[in-house]
Amino acid sequence: MMSGAPAVRVSIESSCERQVQEVSLDGLETYAPPLSMSQNLAKLAQRIDFGQSSDEDEDGPERDSREQWSKPEAEEDEGMVKFQPSLWPWDSVRNNLRSSLTEMCVLHDVLSVLKDKKYMTLDPVSQDPSVGKTPQVFQLLSKKKSLATAAQLLLRGAEKLTKSVVENQEQRRQRDFNSELLRLRSQWKLRKVGDKILGDLSYRSAGSMFPHHGTFEVIKNTDLDLDKKIPDDYCPLNVQIPSELEGSAYIKVSIQKQSPDIGDLGTVNLFRRQAKAKPGSQMWHLKLEAAQNVLLCKEIFAQLSREAVQIKSQIPHIVVKNQIISQPFPGLQLSISLCHSTGEKKNQRASPDKSKPDDHLYVLEHNLHQLIREFHKQTLSSVVMPHPASAPFSHKRLRMAGPMAYDKAEISSLQQSEGLLEKIIKQAKHIFLRSRTARTIDSLASRIEDPQIQAHWSNINDVYESSVKVLITSQGYEQICKSIQLQLNIGVEQIRVVHRDGRVITLSHQEQELQDFLLSQMSQHQVHAVQQLAKVMGWHVLSFSNHVGLGPIESIGNASAITVASPNGEYAISVRNGPESGCKVLVQFPRSQAKELPKSDVVQDGKWTHLRGPYKEVHWGRMEGRNFVYKMELLMAALTPCP
Amino acid sequence: MEAPPVSVMPVTGGAINMMEYLLQGSVLDQSLESLLHRLRGLCDNMEPESFADHELVYLLKGQQGNPFLLRARRSLLHPPAPWHLRYLGQPEVGDKSRLALVRNCVDVSASHGLPEVLNEMGFRMDHEFVAKGQLFRKGGMKVVVSKLSRVLVPGNTENTEPLSLSYLVELSVLAPAGQDTVSEDMRSFAEQLKPLVHLEKIDPKRLM
Repeated sequence: MMSGAPAVRVSIESSCERQVQEVSLDGLETYAPPLSMSQNLAKLAQRIDFGQSSDEDEDGPERDSREQWSKPEAEEDEGMVKFQPSLWPWDSVRNNLRSSLTEMCVLHDVLSVLKDKKYMTLDPVSQDPSVGKTPQVFQLLSKKKSLATAAQLLLRGAEKLTKSVVENQEQRRQRDFNSELLRLRSQWKLRKVGDKILGDLSYRSAGSMFPHHGTFEVIKNTDLDLDKKIPDDYCPLNVQIPSELEGSAYIKVSIQKQSPDIGDLGTVNLFRRQAKAKPGSQMWHLKLEAAQNVLLCKEIFAQLSREAVQIKSQIPHIVVKNQIISQPFPGLQLSISLCHSTGEKKNQRASPDKSKPDDHLYVLEHNLHQLIREFHKQTLSSVVMPHPASAPFSHKRLRMAGPMAYDKAEISSLQQSEGLLEKIIKQAKHIFLRSRTARTIDSLASRIEDPQIQAHWSNINDVYESSVKVLITSQGYEQICKSIQLQLNIGVEQIRVVHRDGRVITLSHQEQELQDFLLSQMSQHQVHAVQQLAKVMGWHVLSFSNHVGLGPIESIGNASAITVASPNGEYAISVRNGPESGCKVLVQFPRSQAKELPKSDVVQDGKWTHLRGPYKEVHWGRMEGRNFVYKMELLMAALTPCP
Repeated sequence: MEAPPVSVMPVTGGAINMMEYLLQGSVLDQSLESLLHRLRGLCDNMEPESFADHELVYLLKGQQGNPFLLRARRSLLHPPAPWHLRYLGQPEVGDKSRLALVRNCVDVSASHGLPEVLNEMGFRMDHEFVAKGQLFRKGGMKVVVSKLSRVLVPGNTENTEPLSLSYLVELSVLAPAGQDTVSEDMRSFAEQLKPLVHLEKIDPKRLM
């Protein structure tokens, strides 16, 4: 090989992977027999281009230098096989071998030159003694300088890092905005106008006809001051709502007894505590919901005030500023006011709120919301598609009116429909009547202990009607004295009383009527109780009257009376009970026991002793016993002879 | 409560002269679905209403001039619904720049004895057809997508044959005369339906 270098043997062998010639159907693989050495050589030899040197495509100077170094091997070089590089598979191996050989040769030459010491000697480099003696100041300076360079490098790296972090955050915020927008889009109507994103928070699609546009704008909130800490409730998306929809609002419905001074009108300003944000809901969502609520409240109020002006009632409804005043019953005032706070002034106004009792009727407020939604639904559903399709959009009943030859009354009956205000006034009347009935019954029950009065209110009511069952009983005698059971159906204007026996009495909304009625019922109850008791005790009822025509006239109802006779007929008890005059109990003694009775000359016969004697009044207040019926039982027991 | 829309005021009194603003177009049966889908998205928030109507066109031939034409329509899906009698005037001439076809229109709902009354009056039935399709609404605009079928045996609406392989699409508004904003609204709505359907102002006289 090359000069002086020992011949190195490199054995090269192809991998003995045999080629698969075919795979038979049963999976047996038939291999192609491997090429024999000579065949292989022949195959390789076919690819050799003898006319081209592999060195030719190498750089000129390099070749020159090598030729310089390898002059002695010129003959052998010529004998070397020239290859066509790209065609031969071992080309790279050959090239690498060749270059390593060149390197080795160079190394060998250098070493031999050094070894001979004919041309060149190697000496250790003498250290400059002055270096070790550099003054300390200089050393310090140089150290400082190098440290500064290092620090600069580090700083530059840190800057790069922070920049990339900020960029990342910026990108994330951008992404956050888009995802927030997507969430907004899933809950609110949005549309793009120019380069703005506008949303719709009105109830128009639900059937509202309120003219307010109710649009909001979506704002990107990504340009934050990066140095400052990002607040916890930061949201990349913000919404801007119209200024008139800001803050919170509600409709206040209250019923007052006496009308306040006219100067107080229209200045209702009561604000509720702001509802706390639910965790997990976005700021924009709360803001939009609040704005939508404000819009709805405004719509309700606008609708109510429009109706208040349109509807002709005996006592006109008054609309002043943010308040509508109506008189459902004489001396009673229903006020509906729109309370809208814009947020900032809330604190100042909250204080007078607390001093006043909260007479806000939440039920009516809720019902107003319900009514306006029903109204919306009605406007949506009232527009039915015409059939046949060519007919114009209009109410079906109006299309029917001509062909069916409706008269004016029929048409107006079809069109009649109550407004929001009428409905809410009716509801308010009912609520008022109900609460006053309850109060009347309660006050009677607490004032009068005997007989007892019980009220069973039904849980489920209509907005215009509720019912209560009133039982009048005597304590300890509930089982035998069940004569008075009243069903009070409280309506809007009046109360219908249904007796157990089916009699129906209609009472007006006046409180006194109900009270008087109940008082007379209670008085009747006592007499009924005596009747029931007499049955149990074996006494005989001689006479019974719910409405006695004799005696002093009661201012409320009529007195009732009963006379019962003892089982053997000797004694009789007569009871007269009036709602006002109270009860009077008389006992009739047998003639025989009446000592003070003058002996008559005419009635001498013994049989006459069986005639009834005179009556004596019982000092009822002094009777023992906790209530009327108990006292009566004791009296009856005392007058019943022992067997 | 029931603020009556303008269209329910009596038109026979002559107080308000109602006009029909109309744009028409057609789609092939294959592309009907995508058009309905688009309409569902664009129109008011309600489900499209299917309808099937039977229309009878009556003519009254006078001594001279054009015959007088009335259209009587009844709903096949809602037999108790009143009949609808309609007079459509000639399209307003002049004003080429107007965006929609405008013609006089009188709508009357009628009882079920309408054909007899018309016959007694001297009207003769010219032709009849059955229209089936969907009805959409956007505000005051009415969009009718319907398939017209020929009635093979007079009076028998069961036995019909489609007139063509396409659906008729009509966009119409009823409004008092001289409301140009109406036709602008219609045009912008029609613009949104492109390229599914091209609604255009088509003069029926040209087609005759």
